[in-house]
Amino acid sequence: MRSDGGSAAVTVIVLLPLLLVVTTGVLQLGALRVLASRVATAADLATLAAVDDQDEAELVRSGGFRLAPDATAVARRFFALNLATLADELATSPDAAAADADVAAFPNVPALDPLTGWRYERPTVRIAAAVPVRTPAFGTLLLPRTTVVNVRAASAAR
Amino acid sequence: MVVILVPLLFGVIEFGWLYQRWLAAESVAAHAARYAGELGGDDPALRVYIARELGAVGIDPARVTIEVVPARVGWREPIRVSVRSQERVDLPFLFSAPIAITATAVARGELAR
Repeated sequence: MRSDGGSAAVTVIVLLPLLLVVTTGVLQLGALRVLASRVATAADLATLAAVDDQDEAELVRSGGFRLAPDATAVARRFFALNLATLADELATSPDAAAADADVAAFPNVPALDPLTGWRYERPTVRIAAAVPVRTPAFGTLLLPRTTVVNVRAASAAR
Repeated sequence: MVVILVPLLFGVIEFGWLYQRWLAAESVAAHAARYAGELGGDDPALRVYIARELGAVGIDPARVTIEVVPARVGWREPIRVSVRSQERVDLPFLFSAPIAITATAVARGELAR
């Protein structure tokens, strides 16, 4: 009875580069998935911070919600603060990423967001951002070392 | 052959597990930051909340370090909550190493004192 152990070993050795490429890609994709989630969380927290602060005079006067005048500035500031917690993973500075983000306030409702097509029934702040992140393992596979993560987040006053 | 395939297989499994816990810690940090903003800073209720949430996602709170900065936040000021968990990656035939995962979130103080 002949053993086929030798041919299996040859097969593995021949396929080893492919296995390593696949494994490296899988691990980098997993890390990218985590990073994308962290960027999305940063955008979520930023829009929440912006709409948490209501125009109190309007609330007292009419009982209605109205966004604070600095809502978009607050959203941008908190987006930068949250991105700063993953600065090492970004291919740009947190401040630059936040500055490049499309931040919009929709104080008058109902409103239709021309960028996303979302319809808002309450005063809303929305962030749409394209954040470049480092993906060094992709670089070893001759793919781009930087991947752009696109995020969209919106929060409404309630 | 086994010394090649087994570490590769375990690498995918172990890192998948690690990423899952990282995402879970990230979610806990985000919710904790918002709660800290409501409470006005660090508070025993916040610690209890974080421990409960970590337990719910399968992370042992005893192996987690929590940092809340500042401990007392002013209205509309940023408050940062960090959850640092000590995890472990074991790859047969290759290495076994501790890995620290850190999840941090920044929210806004909502308590007008």
